[in-house]
Amino acid sequence: MTMSETAADTTGGAGVVPPTSLEAAVTTTDHLVVGRAWIASGALFLVVSLLAGLLANLERLDLAGVGLFGSADEFFQFWSAHRVGFVLLAVVPVIVGLATAVVPLQVGATSIVFPRAAALGFWTWLLGAVLTVTGFLIDGGLGTPGSGSQRQAVALTLVGLLMVIGGICVASLCIVTTVAAGRPSGMSLDRVPLFSWTLLVAGTIWLATLPVLAANAVLAYVDLRGRPAVGFGAEDAIWEQLSWAFTHPQVYVFALPLLGIAADVIPVAARRRLPSHNALLVVTGLIGVVGFGAYAQPAFDLSTPVMTQALYVVEAFLAVPLVLLVVGALADTLRRGAGNLGARPPAPVVLAVLSLLLLVAGTVVGAIRAVSPLDLLDRSTTGAQMTFTMGAALVAAMAGTLWWGDRTMGRVAPQGMGLVGGLLATLGVVLVAVPDTLSGFMGLSDFTGADLAAAGDPGGAVGALNAVAVVGSLLLLLGAVGWIATGVRRMKGAEASPDPWGGHTLEWATGPVEVTSERPLLDAMAEVGA
Amino acid sequence: MAAVTLPPASPTRPRTLVIGSALGTGAVLMFFGALFGLYFSRRANTMAWGSEWFPEGAIQLVPGSMNMATMAVSTVTMAWAVYAVINDDRIHSYLAMFLTAVMGIAMINQTVFYFNDIGLPIDHSEATTFLFVIVGAHMAMVGVGVLWLGLLLLRALGGQDTSRHRDLVSAAALYWYAAVAVYVVIWYGIYIAK
Repeated sequence: MTMSETAADTTGGAGVVPPTSLEAAVTTTDHLVVGRAWIASGALFLVVSLLAGLLANLERLDLAGVGLFGSADEFFQFWSAHRVGFVLLAVVPVIVGLATAVVPLQVGATSIVFPRAAALGFWTWLLGAVLTVTGFLIDGGLGTPGSGSQRQAVALTLVGLLMVIGGICVASLCIVTTVAAGRPSGMSLDRVPLFSWTLLVAGTIWLATLPVLAANAVLAYVDLRGRPAVGFGAEDAIWEQLSWAFTHPQVYVFALPLLGIAADVIPVAARRRLPSHNALLVVTGLIGVVGFGAYAQPAFDLSTPVMTQALYVVEAFLAVPLVLLVVGALADTLRRGAGNLGARPPAPVVLAVLSLLLLVAGTVVGAIRAVSPLDLLDRSTTGAQMTFTMGAALVAAMAGTLWWGDRTMGRVAPQGMGLVGGLLATLGVVLVAVPDTLSGFMGLSDFTGADLAAAGDPGGAVGALNAVAVVGSLLLLLGAVGWIATGVRRMKGAEASPDPWGGHTLEWATGPVEVTSERPLLDAMAEVGA
Repeated sequence: MAAVTLPPASPTRPRTLVIGSALGTGAVLMFFGALFGLYFSRRANTMAWGSEWFPEGAIQLVPGSMNMATMAVSTVTMAWAVYAVINDDRIHSYLAMFLTAVMGIAMINQTVFYFNDIGLPIDHSEATTFLFVIVGAHMAMVGVGVLWLGLLLLRALGGQDTSRHRDLVSAAALYWYAAVAVYVVIWYGIYIAK
């Protein structure tokens, strides 16, 4: 690719005005900086989405009516804001940020392919995320569009969502192309580290499924905008048509990179090779295929029982053994290398193992949910499955930032604080998802708004379980804050060594390089007297 | 005679731009695939109840076929552009890219004129909402293609589109062919099947 670059200043620097830090931050195409920006922004929106989830769970403490919010629709907006925010504004962006920073290093590329597009992807996503949250805050969201300003606010939310999807797609394209075409000679695809491989698979499926979500949002937007909605932007249709992206099987493909994180962290820490690298490449690829969820939409026809069709059920059950295969291989690696882990295993290893267990729980709940006679498809089990799976991805992302942070930030983080944050988050995920799973069996609807009769008079047991879920939401929030605090502390930490874990993949081959000169090439030439 | 050690062959240059464009074009095709899937699903549902999808006589085949012919010819000029660039034939590459862009503009112009003329508002029914969303999105896709070709023309005038740097032209051709493929489905699904 030929690129047009501004001609280098050869006047000795006279007249060169160095960019301000804001200009440098906005115009940078350094994949490490862009990756860090993704992670920091994702962490911010993680807190926002978890707050929305906490408020929605608090509302469920009293199923007799809507007390905390002004109306059932407002309650629904916060409830759906939590799901959209948790997936598309928090967990996926953090994974994308980690990938933007780490994947080019792992595959031996000089930078991410299309660095300007990668930066464009981030800024598009960020603007879209702000618009989406604004849309939710001004009584828009993805709820029932009323009239006048509320319709405008719902339209704004949809525009924000479209920009979020666009940003993630552009960033995914850059990451996937980096793995596919940015590798040096000799690094065949089967030699690519598993984190990069899972990003190749997941990114490709994201590129295949998120445009489908965008098409749904465009239809709803056009239908909603300024005139009586025909059907796509009408009552209940918007969320029903978009919700496939936040449940089984699509959440598996959003969470797929967690397997790559665990598969890169555990063998290095345990000082043992994976039993079969190539088999894991195939299995993680299959999980990506199973996670393709764009077909599982009602096509604006709420009576279409997509979720009872054979493919949907088979995918739900197929996910369990596939994930267990990966977990088994990693558990075997851990067992063989247990002696090398020491009395206190590194925090990323602990969190990686916990994320694997959460993912297994997510796939099991997903399989149980798909059993038609149990009638769990529109129960709170749906939310539990999302919480388990995306919570697993979040904990793995925490492990990933602790693992690769020394390399991408060049500073040491307090691992203990990161571990506490991750443990709190894990406990929070369990305390939210387990009660929701059990409540689903007792008849609690996935969304319990004004139509409380749909909750089936769940009684005291469900009330107690909802109280536990509130505690879980709080712990999850605290865990996220702990993880963010770890990142902030890292910025002031001691300088990191180039390879703190004794890693064997390319990202550890060189230390962090900090270019401080405005004219690095000229300065280097001057140093050698050229 | 002393043995001569030859240097290793230079590695094949990875065609990052073509791969990236293929991924992006694939994503765009999935976008249209979703719209078509919803369109045909809702159309089948509506017609299964004996209801009318488009009003009788509202959609004419001739304008759609004219556009189809225009897009079909543009695939030839686009292939001509790629061939000319590969052979460092600058004059023909100017001409081919210019003609392709003109055909894209003509297609957009014809579509805008026709949809102003048919007198169906966007909120007339589900069918018209789909019609305007799908055709509008396709016009946007062609518009992006025309802008891309304009950029290529500027690069060609600057002597940058050569056989050594043909990836941008190949990537644009890939995208353009996808735009034509999408129009084939529009032509069949909307103008012929109605």
